[in-house]
Amino acid sequence: MAGAGIINTNQVVYRPRVVVVGLASCFGCQLQITNIESHLMELLGQIDLTYWQLASSDPMPQYFDVAIIEGAVTTQESVETVRTLRRKADTLIAIGACATTGGIPGMAGGSLGLADRAAEVYEKGSLPEACGEMCVPRPISSVVKVDAEVRCCPIDSYDFVKTLHRLVYGSNRAQLTSTLCGECKRNETTCFYAEGTLCLGLITRSGCGARCVNLGRPCNGCAGLSPDANVDSARDACVRYGVSVERFDKALEMFNQFELDAVLEQEQAQKAQDKDEATTNQASSEADASDTGSRG
Amino acid sequence: MPSSCAVSTVQVRPYHENSSVLTGQELMAQNPYRPWPARITAITELTATEKLFEFRLIDDKIREAFHHEPGQFVEVSIFGVGEAPISISSSPTKQGFIELTIRKAGAFTEILHEMQCGDIVGLRGPFGRGFPIDEMRGHDILLVAGGLGIAPLRSLINNIHDERSEFGKVTIIYGSRTPKEIMFRNQFEMWRHRKDFDLHLTVDHPDETWDGAVGVVTKPFAELEIDASNTYGAVCGPPVMYRFVIDEMRKKNISYDHIYVSFERHMKCGMGKCGHCQIGHQYVCLDGPVFNYWEAKNIQGSM
Amino acid sequence: MTRTGEDMLYRVIEAKELPALVSAFMESYEVVAPVKSGSAYTFEAVSSFDEIELNYPTTIASPKKYFLPPKETLLEYDATTNQVTNFAAEITPRVIFGAHACDINALNRLDLVFRDGRYPDPYYIARRKATLVVGVSCMPTETCFCHLWDSDEARFGYDLFLQDIGGKYLVSISSVEAANILEAACNPREATDEERIEFRHVTRKRQASFNKDIPDIQEVAMLMDAFHSDPFWEELGKRCLSCTACSAVCPTCFCFDIQDTLDPDGKKGHRERVWDACTSPQFALVAGGHNFRPDGRNRVRHRMYHKLNGFLANHNHMLCVGCGRCVKACKANINPIEVLKFFERKGAEDAE
Repeated sequence: MAGAGIINTNQVVYRPRVVVVGLASCFGCQLQITNIESHLMELLGQIDLTYWQLASSDPMPQYFDVAIIEGAVTTQESVETVRTLRRKADTLIAIGACATTGGIPGMAGGSLGLADRAAEVYEKGSLPEACGEMCVPRPISSVVKVDAEVRCCPIDSYDFVKTLHRLVYGSNRAQLTSTLCGECKRNETTCFYAEGTLCLGLITRSGCGARCVNLGRPCNGCAGLSPDANVDSARDACVRYGVSVERFDKALEMFNQFELDAVLEQEQAQKAQDKDEATTNQASSEADASDTGSRG
Repeated sequence: MPSSCAVSTVQVRPYHENSSVLTGQELMAQNPYRPWPARITAITELTATEKLFEFRLIDDKIREAFHHEPGQFVEVSIFGVGEAPISISSSPTKQGFIELTIRKAGAFTEILHEMQCGDIVGLRGPFGRGFPIDEMRGHDILLVAGGLGIAPLRSLINNIHDERSEFGKVTIIYGSRTPKEIMFRNQFEMWRHRKDFDLHLTVDHPDETWDGAVGVVTKPFAELEIDASNTYGAVCGPPVMYRFVIDEMRKKNISYDHIYVSFERHMKCGMGKCGHCQIGHQYVCLDGPVFNYWEAKNIQGSM
Repeated sequence: MTRTGEDMLYRVIEAKELPALVSAFMESYEVVAPVKSGSAYTFEAVSSFDEIELNYPTTIASPKKYFLPPKETLLEYDATTNQVTNFAAEITPRVIFGAHACDINALNRLDLVFRDGRYPDPYYIARRKATLVVGVSCMPTETCFCHLWDSDEARFGYDLFLQDIGGKYLVSISSVEAANILEAACNPREATDEERIEFRHVTRKRQASFNKDIPDIQEVAMLMDAFHSDPFWEELGKRCLSCTACSAVCPTCFCFDIQDTLDPDGKKGHRERVWDACTSPQFALVAGGHNFRPDGRNRVRHRMYHKLNGFLANHNHMLCVGCGRCVKACKANINPIEVLKFFERKGAEDAE
């Protein structure tokens, strides 16, 4: 897909066919696309937008190149939708916190469990049909392979354009996984930790330019945990700066519940495996011992 | 800012064909970030993932002044996509054209692989320190390439070929994973029976077409007779290869400073500034990419 | 006013003359100076002397941003023809008013790379030429260790240096451009013997005020080599948050990335250089996916190594100037002081 639209002296320009689909979300990220305003027409000139629920009631076409998905996967039906889009599209882009981390819907996961969480809202046994066959809310990437992500709640319009350009024209720009604090230093804003205020910049993926901090508010982690996030070290930092680790952990849940659950699950699986191995080792050493015994 | 401020500028202007009055070196002194337009004049498919591109700098003055050493590299630009450092595969003896062996290994090279003859890219360079070709003259040469490591070594190999009488015994060991991945196979097949090149092609995994040697690049060393005091070694390949090949060369008693290695890093500026290619205190783009083994040993974290 | 002779290198002005000096600069330069920003200080453009906090302890980031902006366009292009288009980078004439000695020394280090190297950098040089640097003396904060790296005195690299000697300043005058403005705006006079002695007093006082808990270690560069494989680097590296705050605030970190960005129309675009950092996880990544420094241990060690050894090998100076900014910026407590303390512990272990 990358480079499909490359314009060079003797090549024909190909406009990729694009569909935009919304799952569990507030549609705010789709609105952010329209918020490019003066550049919207320029952008539409580079793609063939064949389906967009938000803007037109035309049905989704059979063939397309790029699928843009907003929102979290929350039902079996949406799992199927995402799988179908993946099958049909060369390129799949997840936009917004819900689609990239599970986002706000993702908070329904966690230790309480989905059923109990639903029971807090609806009386037991009276779950509305519209809820569908619910599953733990999750990011697109946990269901199918995602080619590009535009992060944050909501997305930045120009970040979206840049991502689309990367896929249409190609780019060798590195996809950074550094965390946010570096951006605050480049902006020269004062650090919240200096005044003992909790901020999730320590472990949140950079790239947004620290917009919230620039507006005087701590990072709430909407870009999601960086794959290089050092949560243990961040907790130590909290202790050093007099911020409650409990509050730090709690704050992480807002945009990272799915990831945290996954990490927890992994740790438990690892523990179980370690235990298994320990038992096996013990068994084998016993076997060795009995071997020796028989030889002796 | 007060209105009386005398704002100065750093200007970058487009080139029009044949209009430059300055050589590449002079332009480089003005602004080394500024690529020069070059046209793709030939594309040869080498393997499923590698192509040899031939470029011609469009501006006469820049083209005529472009000289490189084997082992040096250029920065290739596709505007909007970015820039990438690529080692030069053609011999300095082939003036007027620059050949680059390019593996499809990322977004940039993917786009480059889609380009066609006549398309324009940007080039700047050459950068770095190459193989000491003048020092090597009059000596035996032992070249060892693994995989894409043949790209910079081909420049040296072809240079030696074009000035063959100036060098002593020349041994080339070139290892690939499979026969299909051997680059410049036609050239090497033709050289297989030449007396003036001792050529060892070897593959890790042979197929039914392969009747040559099988094994890693260090395997042919067992049968090599080397006059250590008169031999220069040149090595380029994947990072894991260096230690093993150098061990073999050292076993043959080739001096530390007669073994040359070429390092691969992501040289983003090519000019010892951006820092991406640093190993220890050295900049691969400025102090390398070719180092002798003694220098390499003295760089923290080089191997 | 006519110049009075060759003894123009040092003069004294009264503190109350500073507003006139700043105003004079403002006539033909943008003046940037330390200002209060929340609970900290930053260098910002000012419109009057009253905004300037000349007694600032340190700033969040250094004035390097005026020579190497965090984002800087190098050229513009047309992607449809794959060729460069007309572009002019505008360079604003500027006065950096109130730089500390460490930052001036840092600037001198950057000169070695961007001005004096094999490939002079036209953008940096244009900015350096268009900028006057007015230094000001300071007293160390608890995180300052410039004296350890010989960076507590600025011997060159500035236009004026103001040494506070109590209600007045002993001014080192280094450029004709600044001398002319100083003479026109103020009434610089020769220093008296008392003033010279006061200068001696304040520098002694400064020397005595450094935080004594920061160990003074000999042969640091050699130690960096000797302890290159020590488990200490794993301890330090595994704390790294991968945020790159260290290099953003560092006055001598100069690594950058070169990035192409297309305009929204997908046709025209610009190539810019953007601050990068060797502590960024992708910094040593090459095409094909191999990462030469894949973990915190390798990245943090490389950064410290470049600061405390590597640059010295190439340029005969430590790259760290001891400004202490990273000590505050790093939330994981990774900084050169930790490295010095490690070497001190090593000495103590051997002594046992």
